[in-house]
Amino acid sequence: MKMPAVLRRRALLVGIAALTLAACKDPPKSDPAASGDGGARATGVKRLKIAVIPKGTTHEFWKSVHAGAVKASKELDVDIVWKGPLKEDDLKAQIDVVNTFVAQGVSGIVLAPLNDSALRAPVRSAAQAKIPVVVFDSDLQGDEHVSFVATDNVAAGKLAAEGMATKLGGKGKVIVLRYQEGSASTQNREKGFLDAVKGKPGLELVSDNQYGGATTESAFQKAESLLVAHKAETGAIGGIFTPNESTTFGMLQALKRSGVNKKVKFYGFDSSDKLVAALRDGDIDGLVVQDPFNMGYLAVKTMTEHLRGKPVEKRIDTGARLVDKESLDDPAVKAIMSPDLKPWLGE
Amino acid sequence: MNLRSLLGDRRPAWLGPLVAVVVVYAVFAILTPDTFLRTQNLLTMARQTVVVAICALGMTMVIVTGGIDLSTGSLVALTTVVVARLLRSGYGPVVAVLGALAVAALVGASIGALVGRLKMMPFVVTLGAMTILRGAAKGLADEQKIDCDTKGLERLLSADITAPGLWIALTLAIGVAVLLNYTRFGRHVFAVGSNEAAARLCGIDPARVKILVYMLSSLLFGVAGVMELSTLTVGDPTDSIGLELDVIAAVVIGGASLAGGEGSVIGSVLGALLMTVIKTGAVHRGMPSWTQEIATGAIIVLAVAVDRLRHARARR
Repeated sequence: MKMPAVLRRRALLVGIAALTLAACKDPPKSDPAASGDGGARATGVKRLKIAVIPKGTTHEFWKSVHAGAVKASKELDVDIVWKGPLKEDDLKAQIDVVNTFVAQGVSGIVLAPLNDSALRAPVRSAAQAKIPVVVFDSDLQGDEHVSFVATDNVAAGKLAAEGMATKLGGKGKVIVLRYQEGSASTQNREKGFLDAVKGKPGLELVSDNQYGGATTESAFQKAESLLVAHKAETGAIGGIFTPNESTTFGMLQALKRSGVNKKVKFYGFDSSDKLVAALRDGDIDGLVVQDPFNMGYLAVKTMTEHLRGKPVEKRIDTGARLVDKESLDDPAVKAIMSPDLKPWLGE
Repeated sequence: MNLRSLLGDRRPAWLGPLVAVVVVYAVFAILTPDTFLRTQNLLTMARQTVVVAICALGMTMVIVTGGIDLSTGSLVALTTVVVARLLRSGYGPVVAVLGALAVAALVGASIGALVGRLKMMPFVVTLGAMTILRGAAKGLADEQKIDCDTKGLERLLSADITAPGLWIALTLAIGVAVLLNYTRFGRHVFAVGSNEAAARLCGIDPARVKILVYMLSSLLFGVAGVMELSTLTVGDPTDSIGLELDVIAAVVIGGASLAGGEGSVIGSVLGALLMTVIKTGAVHRGMPSWTQEIATGAIIVLAVAVDRLRHARARR
C-alpha cells in the first residue's frame, strides 16, 4: 500500500491516511506548543491551556470542582478545557480523553483518576510528551505526576470520630459500614476514623469488616442486616460511621426503616440535599464534607504555578469540615456545601 | 492490492461513510488546525478506533446473516477479566490470550448453536448472553478490577505506528473482507441473510453458517477484549457497557442493513473511524459531551436515510 505524495499537502486526505493507517511519516504540522518542552517555557508567549479531567460530569460534586477550576483560570489568566468521560465512571473513556489531550498537546493536564493503576500508562505518555500532570481527588500510583491535590482523608475520618466521641460522652459501641474494597479514598477515611476510635478507651468497636458496596441499594441491605445483627433497636449501639455518600444514604434509609434513627449517633460523609435534610431533622448527627470547589481551584492553580516555573508541593490538602445541625447555617459552611456556581458556570 | 478489487464490482456501500469521514475530519482540521493535523493525533484516533473496529468486523458478519449480537460489550469485559486472571495466576501472555480467545470462541459457538440449530431469535439469545457474560465477568473478578502485570500486552497499543494492535486490526479487516467477498463461505453468509429459504434450497446449511459466523464474531470480540486490556492494563468487569451499541452504529453507518444480506467490512471500519473522529474533534474543540452524543446519533440516522435513498434510486 503506497501513499501518493499529494497526501502531504491535503488536509482532507490525511483523513484517509488515518484510516489506512499508512501515512504516519508526515511531520507534525506547525504547532509551537509541540516543539520544545511543552508549556513550561510558554509563559507570556502562548496562553496556557490546561485540560481538566474529572471522573464524571453530572454529579454535584464535579460541578463544584468545575466552578473552582473556572475561578482559578480567570484569576490566573489561563484557559481550561473541562472534559470528563462521556459515560459517568467509564474507565476506558477516561483513558481515551487523557490520550486525546496528550495528542492535542495541551500545556498541562489536571486529572481525577478513576483507577489508581489503569491511568498510569496515559499519565506516563503525557510525561514523555513533556505534558505535566496534576492528580486530584483520588491518588495515582507512581510518581510521574507533579502534585496530588485532594482531601486528607485520614484527617477527615478522624474529624468524624472526634465529633462522635464528644456526642457520645466518650463511651458506647461503634459500627463502621465500609464502602468498597480497593477504593483508596474511603479506605483512608475508615482508617482515620478507626485509629481515632481505638485511641479512646470508652468507645468499643463492634463491627468494622462489612462493606456497603457500590450502590445505595447494596449499602442499604448491608446496613439493615448489620442493625439487626447488633440489636440496634434495643439501643445497644452508640455510634455509626459511613465513609461516603452512598453508604451514608443507605444507612440512613436502614435506620429510618427499622426505627433506630435518632437512637444512635450517626456520622456520615459527603453531602446531598437528602443528607442535609436528614441532618436538619436530627436523623444524622454530623456529616464530614469535602471542599470540591477549593479542590478544583487548587488543582488548576497548582498546575499553573508549575507551568510558570514555581515550585509546588507534592501533596496539597484541600480541607474537610465536620458539619452538624448547629453549624449548617454558618456562612462558611454554606459556601462549602452549596457554593454559588452561577458566576463561574453561568447556569 | 487495490481497495476496489477487494470490494467486488457492486456499487460500494462504503462510499458514503468515506465521504462522511473525510468531511468531518476536514471540518475539525479547519476548526483546530494546530492540533488536529498532528501525526500523534492521527495515531491516537487510530488506536482508539481499534476496539470498536475489530468488534465491527464480527458484527458485520452477524448482521449480514440477519442476526444481531448484544453481548459484545460483556464479552469484551469478560475477556479482559479472563486475561488478567490468567496473567495474575502466573501464566505467560500467550497462554492468557489464547485461553481468553478459547472462552470467547466457546461463547460464540453456544450462541450460534442456539440461534442456528434451535432457531431462537438472535436478539433474545444475545440479550441473555449479555447479562450472563457480564455476571460471569463480575464473578470471576470478585466484583473488582483485577490488577495484573500485563507482561508486554500493554505494548499492543503503544503510542507509535509500530503498535502491533493497529496492524492486527488492519490484517483482520482485510481478512474478514476477503472472507466475506471472495470465498464460498462468504457467499453463503450473504445468501443466508438475503433469503434463508432459498439458501437452504441451494443446499446451504444455514445453521452451520450461523454457528461459524457467531463463533468467528465472538472470537473477534475476544481479540478486541485483549486490545481493551492493553489500554486498561487492568481486568475490568464493568468495562465496555453499551459497547455493542457503538459497534452496531458503526456497522449501520457502514451501509449494512439490519434486515440482513447487506454489509460492508470497509464501511463498518469507516463507521467506527467516523465516531472516533467526532469524539476526538469534540475534545479538541472543547465541545460539551452532550453535543457529541447528538452529533453521533444524527449521523447514524442520516447514514441510514442516505442508504435508503441510494436503494430507492438503484431500484428505479
